This record gives sequence, structure tokens and C-alpha cells, in this order.
Amino acid sequence: MGEKKDFQTRLEIEKEKLNHKEDKNKVNRGLFFGNAFRLGTELVAAVAVGTIIGFILDNWFDTKPLFILIFFFVGFAAGILNVVRTAKEMQK
Amino acid sequence: MTQFKVYKIGPEIKFGNVDLSFTNSSLFMLISAAIICLFLYFSTKERKIIPGKLQLISEMLFNFIAKMISDTAGSKAKPYFPFIFSLFAFVLICNMVGMLPYSFTVTSHIIVTLIMALFIFFAVTVIGFLKHGFKYLSIFVPSGVPVVLLPLITVIEIISYLSRPVSLSVRLFANMMAGHTMLKVFGGFVISLGLLGGWLPLSFSVALTGLEILVAFLQAYVFAILTCIYLNDALNLHH
Repeated sequence: MGEKKDFQTRLEIEKEKLNHKEDKNKVNRGLFFGNAFRLGTELVAAVAVGTIIGFILDNWFDTKPLFILIFFFVGFAAGILNVVRTAKEMQK
Repeated sequence: MTQFKVYKIGPEIKFGNVDLSFTNSSLFMLISAAIICLFLYFSTKERKIIPGKLQLISEMLFNFIAKMISDTAGSKAKPYFPFIFSLFAFVLICNMVGMLPYSFTVTSHIIVTLIMALFIFFAVTVIGFLKHGFKYLSIFVPSGVPVVLLPLITVIEIISYLSRPVSLSVRLFANMMAGHTMLKVFGGFVISLGLLGGWLPLSFSVALTGLEILVAFLQAYVFAILTCIYLNDALNLHH
């Protein structure tokens, strides 16, 4: 029975620790490599989504190359925004 | 390539036009889920004060995710711990099972990763609207932007928001698929160069296998941490 109680106290201590570990500056530096993988796809995904939206709008309004051109560049801007945000997050 | 082929196992099951047959993809998903459940069950069964090796691994896994959530999304995200933990464990074990020879990599198919990413996307959006009501739409309108530029910036922000599930799913799928293809290509070089020149690509593929295991872990980590970041945006509304 005593062993179970000991386990409970240890569990409580661990739980306490988790509650206190909330300072934001303690980012796991060892895993920065994972963040590096993010940048490329962030850019490409936004361009793709922008182009798809442009394509759909073109099909709706029958204005073939107009919206696809506009939204390609808007998507590119969104991609740059994503990359800048990711980079900022990484620097925190 | 044969390693990415999905084929049916057992009888064909159809509901109307929807094909619900059991495939090798479903089989490996079940295997991964079973590995996670059995491992967590048996490693935490004894609840020792001084943990054994297995108990230590599952405790570390728990702490790792708990710390990640509290670091990136704060204390408000605690109720979502079970979801993020199972997501991380599932993606990780699927990737790792895929590293075994003759197995099937579930995450190397975009439909699997896209469904997971879309579920996260819709869940986060619903959570945002439930917590903040229509004020949640203010993430599309950053503060301090001149009125003239506001329509353009809003469109850009909306596209940036919509690109989340795409980047989340494409990243995982592309990394797994590209890695396995690369291993296959180097494996092919070993055969075609034969005994004389085959040693170089063989050593490369040994090194690449190590890299692939790293990528398998990192992609699971990135998938989970991005879910936390999106959750953070929905829970703590400020930009």
C-alpha cells in the first residue's frame, strides 16, 4: 500500500512541475531543425491556395486569366507573410 | 512504386458509391494504433516509484507533449492534451512503422494527411468561434493597418489562414514520400552498379535510413507543434 502512496506523491510533484513550467522563453532549442522544414511548404502552400481560389473565381465569373493572375500574386504575398511569421516565431 | 500501392484485403465493402473496403493502408493504421495502445497499457501497468525502461519512455512521451502544449499554447490548451497526444503518437508510430522493410507508410498518402489536417483546421476554427464568437474574425484584420490597404491585407490574411491545412498535410506527405522514394532510388543503384560500384550507394542508403528516422520523428513533432500553434491562435486571440 505504501508503494502506491509513494507513486501518488511522485505523480503530484510531476503535475506541480508541469503547472509551473509556463514561461514562454523556454523553447526547445534542440528541435529547431523541425522548424527549418516548415519554411518551404509555408510559402508553396499559400501560393497554391491563392491560385486555386483564383481559378474557382474565374470559373464562376467567366473571366479567364484575370482572377488567377491577381490571386497568384496575392497568394505569393500571403506566403511571404507566412514565412516571416514562422521566422519570427522561431526567434522568440 | 509498389511500396506506395494501396490494395484491398478481404471482401469488397460498398455503401452506395462509397468504397469502404479494408485496405493495406487501414491495416497499417490499425497496427500503429494497436502498438500505441498496447505499449502505453503495458508500460504504465505496474506504476512503479522508480520507473522501469518502458515506464520511463511513456512518462517522457507524456512530459514531452505536456511541455510542448504549455510552452506554445499556454494553460488554456490543457483540455486538448489527449487529442494532441494521440495525434503525435499516431503520426510518429505510422512514420516509424513505415521505416520497417515490407511495411506500408500510411502517412505517405496525401489523403490521410489531408483528412487529419482538415479535421484540425475545422476543429480549430470551430473552437475559435465558440470561444470568441464573431470577434474571432478579427484575426483576419490586423491592427494598425491603414484603411486603404485593409481590403488587400484581409484577403492576404484569409489566404494565409486557408493555406494552413494545405501546408500541414503537404509537408508530412511530401517528406515521407520523398524520403522513401530516395531510399528506393539508392537501393536501385546498389543493384544496377553491382559488386564493384554498389558499395557507395549502399553506404548512402544506410546514412539515409538514419536521416529518414530523424525525419519521421521531426515530422510528427512539427505536425503536433503546428496544431498547438493554431490552437493557440484560436484560444488566445491577439495579433
